[in-house]
Amino acid sequence: MTDEIKPLILVIEDDPQTRRLLKTNLCNRGWRVIEAENGKSGLLLVKSDSPDLVILDLGLPDIDGISLTKRLRQLSDLPILILSARSQEQNKIMALDAGADDYLTKPFSTGELHARLQALLRRVMRTMNNMEIFQTGELTVELARRKVFVAGNEVHITPIEYRLLSILVRHAGLVVTHRQLLKEVWGGEHIHDQHYLRVYMGQLRHKLEINPARPRYLRTEVGVGYRLVDDEETNQCHF
Amino acid sequence: LSAPVFAFYFAHPIFSFAINDLENIIGLGVMIVVANVTSNFLERVHLQAEISKQRENRANTLYELSQALSDAHNQQEVARIAVSHIYDDFGAMSVLLFPDHEFHLHYPHEMPLEHSLRNINLKIAQQTYQQHRVIQASEPICSITYFPLERSQIIQGVLAIKLLAGSDLASPELITFFDTFLNLISQTLERLSLTELANNANLQAETESLRNALLSAISHDLRTPLTRIIGASTALVESNADFSAEAKLDFNRVILDEAQRMSELTSKILDMARLTAGEIIPHKEWNALEEIVGSALNRLEKNLGTRPIRTLLPDNLPLLWIDGVLVEQVLTNLIENAIKYTPAGSPIDISAELLVGKLAITVSDYGLGIPQGMEEKVFDKFYRLEPESHQGGVGLGLTLCRAIIEAHGGTIHVANQYGKGALFIINLPIHEPPNLNCLQGMAE
Repeated sequence: MTDEIKPLILVIEDDPQTRRLLKTNLCNRGWRVIEAENGKSGLLLVKSDSPDLVILDLGLPDIDGISLTKRLRQLSDLPILILSARSQEQNKIMALDAGADDYLTKPFSTGELHARLQALLRRVMRTMNNMEIFQTGELTVELARRKVFVAGNEVHITPIEYRLLSILVRHAGLVVTHRQLLKEVWGGEHIHDQHYLRVYMGQLRHKLEINPARPRYLRTEVGVGYRLVDDEETNQCHF
Repeated sequence: LSAPVFAFYFAHPIFSFAINDLENIIGLGVMIVVANVTSNFLERVHLQAEISKQRENRANTLYELSQALSDAHNQQEVARIAVSHIYDDFGAMSVLLFPDHEFHLHYPHEMPLEHSLRNINLKIAQQTYQQHRVIQASEPICSITYFPLERSQIIQGVLAIKLLAGSDLASPELITFFDTFLNLISQTLERLSLTELANNANLQAETESLRNALLSAISHDLRTPLTRIIGASTALVESNADFSAEAKLDFNRVILDEAQRMSELTSKILDMARLTAGEIIPHKEWNALEEIVGSALNRLEKNLGTRPIRTLLPDNLPLLWIDGVLVEQVLTNLIENAIKYTPAGSPIDISAELLVGKLAITVSDYGLGIPQGMEEKVFDKFYRLEPESHQGGVGLGLTLCRAIIEAHGGTIHVANQYGKGALFIINLPIHEPPNLNCLQGMAE
């Protein structure tokens, strides 16, 4: 990350205490923070200040998180991190499908928050730099040559498996919903055929993981989707 | 017919219809009379047969109706069954109307049924309902009759039926038949309303006991961490930096640990409340057990530390038709319990085995196990083996597990293994897995 310009983060959250906590925390990390207490002023700030990232609470008083995500997406491609309560499970998934990039369930630790923000900002860097090789732990994906290696040994994977993996690589460190994967690999008419995903992700896990029942790279987020663990995150989670 | 044949063949002159003999004429007369009588008689027998056949049909119809109604679980279903049977058996369109809490009649369906009668006069229906009597409303084109569906002096609803021309309920037999028909419907409605009353009473008792248990849980299990949090944080705020950095960190750790415990407790209590209130309905999808185990272990990574976890899941397990989030919660609870109640560093085993028609998932540990005789008790609401232990918990974890597994048509129980600790066994039904044949071709 470049040090000269510190990323500007917009926090859209109606609860003043949570907002204060987030601001203190983020400023402490050297990020710049602007705040909005509702969806409307949040949208205005996105237009006027063009922040690098948005942290969006799902339970805003004026606009629901899903429509706000959609409207933010119409304005720009900036990363959106959703904050959701446990009871908003379904809304969270809908917001992710509507274009949000990742989520955190309240209550969350500062560590989790930073890991997510880093992953989101890295995604932006990656799309700008047009990544050719992705590496996390012992897993290497050569995107240009469509080759996959685990601990230096090439692993043969089928075209569908590769397509799934490449989508996850593109979103490394971030959650990718079932719907997103189904739509990109099998097409829009198969967004409900979750069993396709289960079968192919299972095959992929068995090829890439030492213990597929306790995967190191291809994490399942039950009810939401999958997450390819990114290198720095792996280090943070004690492995 | 026999008379001309007789004339033609037997009476002289043979092979002519002319009859010469008086004797033969008499014979013919007798024959005609006999023929008439027999044919009359036969006709009557036919009629009788017809009637009994009709009766049999009606009995069958009533039998079918009662069969269908006995499976009905709510008013909507009763309405659907009644309307379609009335159409099939009487060729008439009809509709059932039910009263709301303020005794106003409404259509039971948002969407009209196939043979449902629309545009009836709700005012007349209301009159029927209030006055307990059949009202026939003659409209210019057709007439609609409103029948009260009455049982034990209580009107469950009103049936409006539009009779087509010529199919009026004129014959007394048909009226009796129709009455029986209505009676069956009323009976079913009464049964439903009684069941609902009983359920409500049960639910109320259940809620009451849950509320009491919740109160006691809150008073103890939530207050303890709160006391510690308030203690630690007031020390920090009021001390004016008198503490060493180490002491401050200690206080902060207490706050963090206790806050996390409270967060866990509140979600368990909320889940239990939602489950009891019937708010959590399994959202079933095809799920892979491997993923659910992996996700549960990932979630508990911090708590697991370096504890050895042995997973023994056979390859090619079938996909399960389950709510992944809920079943993950079950596994998380079981593993969490194993972490809490067994010595640090002792292994936890998770395995699965495919049996006939079901999948057995086991979580076993190397602790002390469950005291004998307590194997069922641990699943009770708010039951804890050591109520005052320092391990936070409200005794809801296993109750939740059982509620979730049972909502999937499965079972969960615990046993002690000789030389090992507790062994939790979950049995989940296996469903016919979806077809994947066309997959490969489509995506490539």
